[in-house]
Amino acid sequence: MELTICHLYPELLNMYGDIGNVYILKHRAAQRGISIKVVNHTVGSAFSSQDTDVVLFGGGQDFEMSVVAEDIKNNMLAPLKSYIEDGGVTLAICGGYQMLGKNYITPEGNVIDGLGILPHYTEGGEKRLIGNFIFDYNGYDVIGFENHAGRTYIGDLKPLGKIKKGYGNNGEDGTEGLHYKNTYCTYSHGPFLSKNPLIADELIMKALEKRYGKVSLSPLDDEYEQSARRQLLKRFA
Amino acid sequence: MDILVIIFCKILSFFTNIFGGGTNLPGSVALKARPHILKKLAAGYRIIAVTGTNGKTTTSAMLASILRTTGRHVVSNESGANMKSGITSKLISAYPIFKKTDGDFAVLECDEAYLKYVTDDINPEIIAVTNIFRDQLDRYGEVSKTLKMIEEGCAKTDSVLVLNGDDPLLANLLPERKRYFYGFRVNPDVSKSEVQNAEGKFCTVCGSPYSYNFTTFNHLGDYFCPVCGFQKPALALGVSAQPEFSPDETKVSFDGLDITVPQPGAYNVYNALCAAAAAGAAGVCPDDIKTGIEAQECKFGRQETVEIDGRQLRLILVKNPAGCDEAINSVLADTGEVEIGFLLNDNYADGTDVSWIYDVGFEKLARLDYQNVAIGGTRCYDAAIRLSVAGLNSNKFIICEDFDSLLYAIKTNLRGRIYLFCTYTAMISLRKFLHKKGYIKKLWY
Repeated sequence: MELTICHLYPELLNMYGDIGNVYILKHRAAQRGISIKVVNHTVGSAFSSQDTDVVLFGGGQDFEMSVVAEDIKNNMLAPLKSYIEDGGVTLAICGGYQMLGKNYITPEGNVIDGLGILPHYTEGGEKRLIGNFIFDYNGYDVIGFENHAGRTYIGDLKPLGKIKKGYGNNGEDGTEGLHYKNTYCTYSHGPFLSKNPLIADELIMKALEKRYGKVSLSPLDDEYEQSARRQLLKRFA
Repeated sequence: MDILVIIFCKILSFFTNIFGGGTNLPGSVALKARPHILKKLAAGYRIIAVTGTNGKTTTSAMLASILRTTGRHVVSNESGANMKSGITSKLISAYPIFKKTDGDFAVLECDEAYLKYVTDDINPEIIAVTNIFRDQLDRYGEVSKTLKMIEEGCAKTDSVLVLNGDDPLLANLLPERKRYFYGFRVNPDVSKSEVQNAEGKFCTVCGSPYSYNFTTFNHLGDYFCPVCGFQKPALALGVSAQPEFSPDETKVSFDGLDITVPQPGAYNVYNALCAAAAAGAAGVCPDDIKTGIEAQECKFGRQETVEIDGRQLRLILVKNPAGCDEAINSVLADTGEVEIGFLLNDNYADGTDVSWIYDVGFEKLARLDYQNVAIGGTRCYDAAIRLSVAGLNSNKFIICEDFDSLLYAIKTNLRGRIYLFCTYTAMISLRKFLHKKGYIKKLWY
């Protein structure tokens, strides 16, 4: 079996080791005999929703984000939208998460249009929300690191999880991220999947099911992942 | 009043030296009592400040060595205590109550974020900026903010600026100032990093992506903008011939001045260039520059070698992707028996976010013929996951939860030359441990 990961603009959106998620997916798939092809999507290239099994949309600095927004609108907005609507597996992190929404309102009141694929919106704050954080995803403690100035409001949409420690979407309503069909949005930047193998496997599983029908994944030896989780949950919880 | 505070804090620093308590404490106390005491402490010195993301400590040490060669007395904060309190502490312990400092040099390594506070009270003759990379973004936000902080710091002074001319981010720093740029005139042809980081890839004038005649590492190199024509500034000092790299040193020519830089890797050539350019701006002659750089020893975990039972433990400070990638290149350049280790901490001074390890090309280490890999630190399991994802054999990992087990692993499971990558606080506490065990004689420089 083979899966194709489309990594959106890795040259521009590479702030905090987001590429780690590609490495983790590849590593976990390879141990089960599943090969992963990574397509580095760059400015000006076309997006084929049929040929893509996982989209990774990371975060970047303001200038790079504006280049990305412009390019998506010009070249791939419609196919990306239908990919997400059709249940394509997507992992959107920090800036990528914000950009999928309606807009971003700066502290000065300027409104920057998002892609509008999902209805959430973000307000820029003065103080950055930074630190290790933990949220509950269907009973599983997800451990991550957040670093964002934006406060995101998701309205009636389903959050990815409930905050147990840290800030999450906005530091007010206890929600973290957004879960829409097979799109997973989170503020947990960087190698989010490295310490949350359950979610990594869920992404692989959903992607395999979509392409090949029902499958089951053999368990892996996650000694280091489990030790990391134990150590950090003890420290931070 | 100032003098009483200085005397009190001198006594305090005498006791903290003996009993511990941190290099920053006397400075913090003095700043509390007299917020502008730096003005008084710095009076009479010719001051050169060194800031930037990578290479501050080595550059400062090289520069201090050059200036000592000229016969002048030099004060410098070389052990990495580079925030305002650390600088104040250093100047307090060096403060001569009975004589004048006229003509003495002070080389002040200064944290990027704290430069603007230091320059509130100090007006350096020269400020040297090594480079700007992403580093501890949980503290500083984005690289553009780091640049802004440095600019604010420089703007408060009328210092001459010595800048890395290969770093496009620095090209527009206070253009109306007297500025000297240094860099590579020729392609050093070091193996390129596989992880391409994005800082500074776009023209600061028109926003188009830069093209490069060559890159040295990451975004540093001979760049130009194909759209608006903006290009690397003219260099006042440059590497003018292909350097000869070896695991221990690099032979280079700085515009005809042949120098053996006593540390490996292109990044140490940059450090030597920066020190040489700053010394040149201060009026030091080429012979003293050459002698000073060549006399400088490896300092404080910047490729310091510690002998343990016939093994050579090489301590390598790593704090961000660019520096770590270059350190990996220097390990790969070693053709002898090589082992590797990684101590990853996540204290404030290390950066509490360890995500950066995924922007480092650890994959390259997988092809080394190592026997074991020692892993430790407060984030040892994060390091283990990263190295295993990078393709290193996890059956060979030895997780060392404390330094005793690390020392045991070094003595029993590792051989030859052991390259131990350490984050800042891991380095500090490991050196203290090795000092206590008698393997390191001098704890501070």
